[in-house]
Amino acid sequence: MRRLALVLVGAGLLLAPAAYAQDETAPALPRPGWSFDGPFGTFDRAALQRGFQVYSEVCSNCHSMNLLAYDDLGPDGPGGGLGYTEDEVKAIAAQKQVTDGPNDQGDMFQRPARPSDHFVPPFPNDQANRAAHNGALPPDLSLIVKERAGGLGAMPWLASGPDYVYGILTGFKNPPTGEKMPDNSYYNVDFPGHHIAMPPPLSADVVTYSDGTKATVPQEAHDVVTFLAWAAEPTMEERKRTGAKVLIFLLVLAGILYAAKRKIWADVH
Amino acid sequence: MADTAHTGPMTSHDHDGGTRRDFLSIAATAVAGIGAACAAWPLVSSMNPARDTLSAGAPVDIDISKVQPGQQIIMLWRSRPIFIVNRTPAMQAIVKADKDAGQLRDPNSDNNQQPPYAKNVFRSVKPEYLVLVGICTHLGCIPEFVPQPGGTLGPSWEGGYFCPCHGSRYDLSGRVFQGVPAPYNLPVPPYHFVSGTMIRVGENPSNSTFDFNSIEQI
Amino acid sequence: MAAPQTQSKLVRWIDRRLPIFTFLDHELNEYPTPKNLNYWWNFGSLAGIMLTIMIVTGIFLAMEYTPNTNLAFDSVERIMRAVNYGWLIRYIHMNGASFFFIVTYIHIFRGLYYGSYKEPRELLWMLGVVILLCMMATAFMGYVLPWGQMSYWGATVITNLFSAIPLVGNDIVTWLWGGFSVDNPTLNRFYALHYLLPFVILGVVGLHLMALHTHGSNNPLGIDRKGPQDSIPFHPYYTVKDMFGLAVFLIVFAVFVFYFPNALADPQNYIRANPLQTPPEIVPEWYFLPFYAMLRSVPDILFIKAKLAGVIAMFGSIGLLFILPWLDTSPVRSARFRPIYKWVFWLLVIDVLALGMVGAHRPEGMWIVIGRVGTLYYFFHFLILFPLIGIFERPLPLPTSISAAVTKGGGKLAGASAPMEKP
Repeated sequence: MRRLALVLVGAGLLLAPAAYAQDETAPALPRPGWSFDGPFGTFDRAALQRGFQVYSEVCSNCHSMNLLAYDDLGPDGPGGGLGYTEDEVKAIAAQKQVTDGPNDQGDMFQRPARPSDHFVPPFPNDQANRAAHNGALPPDLSLIVKERAGGLGAMPWLASGPDYVYGILTGFKNPPTGEKMPDNSYYNVDFPGHHIAMPPPLSADVVTYSDGTKATVPQEAHDVVTFLAWAAEPTMEERKRTGAKVLIFLLVLAGILYAAKRKIWADVH
Repeated sequence: MADTAHTGPMTSHDHDGGTRRDFLSIAATAVAGIGAACAAWPLVSSMNPARDTLSAGAPVDIDISKVQPGQQIIMLWRSRPIFIVNRTPAMQAIVKADKDAGQLRDPNSDNNQQPPYAKNVFRSVKPEYLVLVGICTHLGCIPEFVPQPGGTLGPSWEGGYFCPCHGSRYDLSGRVFQGVPAPYNLPVPPYHFVSGTMIRVGENPSNSTFDFNSIEQI
Repeated sequence: MAAPQTQSKLVRWIDRRLPIFTFLDHELNEYPTPKNLNYWWNFGSLAGIMLTIMIVTGIFLAMEYTPNTNLAFDSVERIMRAVNYGWLIRYIHMNGASFFFIVTYIHIFRGLYYGSYKEPRELLWMLGVVILLCMMATAFMGYVLPWGQMSYWGATVITNLFSAIPLVGNDIVTWLWGGFSVDNPTLNRFYALHYLLPFVILGVVGLHLMALHTHGSNNPLGIDRKGPQDSIPFHPYYTVKDMFGLAVFLIVFAVFVFYFPNALADPQNYIRANPLQTPPEIVPEWYFLPFYAMLRSVPDILFIKAKLAGVIAMFGSIGLLFILPWLDTSPVRSARFRPIYKWVFWLLVIDVLALGMVGAHRPEGMWIVIGRVGTLYYFFHFLILFPLIGIFERPLPLPTSISAAVTKGGGKLAGASAPMEKP
C-alpha cells in the first residue's frame, strides 16, 4: 500500500512536466547534445565566442537581444562572461551607436555605446522591425531557448529549447514537390507547420571564425545556439556548481539526522 | 520491549545511552546551524548592489572643451552631481594667493576628502580645471556656484560656493570656511585626464589606488 | 527545553511576564503525541516550512520586483541575471510553490485515508480547507506577476470565469480587473494581495495548530490515545523525525531547484505578455490541472450554461471538502480497518491524477470523455460513496489501544492487514 502510494506520487511528479510537451503535431527535433547538458555541464567558452560572432554578424541585423548588456560579455559578467577582457568589451560596445539625451538644447543625440548599455537593437521599435520584414516580427533572442520546446532546465528526455533552435537553423530544405508556399515564407522541417517567415540565415562561411574553426552550417548553428543558451541563463554554471555543494551537504545532514532519529527512537521500538 | 519498564517516555535530559545520542544531537544541531547560515547568506548578499547597479556606477567620460572660462558644468556620476569649473587665470591667481587661508577650516586639505593627487591649494590635477562632488558636507544640499567677487556675500567674498540651505560657504577650490555649519571641504572624486579635452570621472590615474569610499564625508 | 524552574534567571524573568517558555515547554515537551505516527505525518510540518520558505524568498524578491506592466518582466529577468543570487531566490520561490502544493496535497490525502477529518477534528479539517483556498488564490496571483504569456492569458481566462455569475457577473469582472481587461491596475492589485495572503495563511495556520493541539494528532490506527502509555513527548521524538523528513524533502527540492528548475514550468511564460497574441495552449500550473479539467468538462446542464456549470463544479469540488466530516458515515476513522474504503480511496487518487492529465491536454477526443467521467466520479466519490460505504461496510475490529497494537508483536490483530510500520 505504501509502495503503491509512493509510486503514484512519483509518477505524478514525473508526469507533471509532460503537461507542457504535448504538441502531438511537432516534428521530431534533432538532439545533438550540448556542452551544458547534464548536472556537470558547462558552457564551452570557445563556442560561446564563436556563437557571439555569428550573432553579431548575422542575427543581430534583425533580432534584438535587449536583456543583455555589453559588460555581461566581460570579466564583470555573470560567470566571468564570454572570456573577453574589459578593453575588448569596450571595443565591442563602441561599435554601436546609442540614442541618448536630451542634451541642453533639448535634442536627442547619438553616442557610442558604453559597456553598461544593453545591446543596441537593430530597429528603434517593433513597428519599424515589422515594417522591414513584411509584417513579421523577428523575436528578441534573449530568452529564445527558454521559450521554445522544452526550454532550459527541464526534464532531460524532452527536446529542449536549444534543440529546437538548432533544428530550425539547420532545418531549411526545399519544399516537397507540390507544396504551396505562402508569400515570404520558407520551408523548414523543424518549424511547426513548416512555413517559417525567416529566410535561411546561415550558410557555409557566412562568418570567418577567428580561431580557424571551419564554419559549416551545423558548426555555426551549434555555436550560436550555445551562445543563445548562455544568453538565456548566464548563471547556469553557477547554479549547477552550487547544486552539487548543496546536495552533498544535505546528504550528510540527512545521514546525521537519520542516525539521531534512530538513536532517539530506539527505546520506543 | 516491556511497557512497564518506562513510567513515561524519555525526555531530552535522560542520559540513558547518553554520550552517543548527545554527540549526534550536537552534530545534527551544528550541521543544521551551518546549513541555516549558508541559506541566509544568499538572501543577505542579494541586498548588495546588483551587477547592473555596479556597472552603472562605472567611470564617466566628460568632454570639457565646451566649458567656457569662468563657467561651471554639472554632470552626474553615481547619481551624484559633479561640478567641473574652468578657472580663469584671475581665479587661479586668487587661489594661489590664498589670502583667506586663515578663515578656512582645513586650508591644507588635511582631512581625507580628496585623492592624494588633488591634495594641493588648487585641489585638482590641473589648476585650470576644478572637479568636485557637488554635495554640501553639512546635510547634502547642492551648493550654488558664485564665482563673482563681492556682491551679496559681502565685500571680502572672492568667489566660490554658497549653500542656500544653511549658509555654508566654500572657496574657489571647494574648501570650507570656518563659522559655517559644514564640517569638511567639498569632496574631490577620483578622476584623470584621458586627453586634453576629456576627463574621466570615477577612475584614478594609473599610478593611484585612491578609494573614494574612504573619504570622511560625501 | 526543560521546565522554566531549571532555566536561567533571565528566562524566568521573561516567562513570568510573557509565558513563552512555559508555552513552548508545554507544546513541545509535555504535549502528548501518539507514539505510532508514520512518515505520512511529516507532511504537515513540511507544509509549514514551505510556507516560511515562500514568505522569506518572496520578501527578498519583492525588494527587486516592479509591479508595472512595462517593467515587471524585465525586473524578473534582472533578478535572474544581475541581482546577487537572484536566480537562486527566484528558482526557490518558483519551485517552492509547486513543492508547497505537493506536500499539502499529500497532507490532505493522508487526512482522507486515516479519517483525520472526523470528530473531534472537523474544525481542524475545515481550517485546512481555508488554507488550501488561500494557497490557491495566492499561487494564482503570484503566477501573474512575471507578466509572461501564461501570466497574462491565465489571468484573463480565470478572471473571465466570474462573468458566468448571473446578473452581476460582468460588473464583478470589471471590478476585479480595475479596467476593461487584465492590465496594469490588475497587476498592481494582484501584487498587493499576493503579498498579503501568505500572512493570512500564517494566521489560519496558527488557528489550525491551535485546533490540532486541543485534541492532539490522529494516528494510523485512528483510535484515541487512552493514556500516557500511548504517547510520547513531541520533543525530541517528533522534532528529530520531522528534521530528518525535512532533510530528505530538501534533497528532492534541491534536485529540482538546481538541476531541473523549469521542469514544472511552462516555457511560454518566458515570453513577454502580448495582449494581441493568444498562445496556442493556455495551461495553468500543474497543481491547478485537476480543477481546470473539471471546469472544462462540464457541458450544458438543464438551464445552466456550460460555463457557469463548470465554474460551479470547480468551486464546488473544493466547497464540498468543507462538509466532508459530515458526508462520511463510518464509525471508524482509519482506512486500515475499513476494508472497502481502503480500496475506494485509491480510486480517488487515480481520478485526481487522471483529471490532471485531462487538464493538460486540449479538450478533444478521448480527453473529453475521461474528463467527464473523472469529474462525475469525483462528486460521486464524496457525495454518494462516502455516506454509503460508511453505512454498509463492516469495519475490522479495532485494537484496544495504541500501545497494545504497538507492543503486541507488530500489531497483528485479527484482521489488521498492515503490519506496524516502522516510523
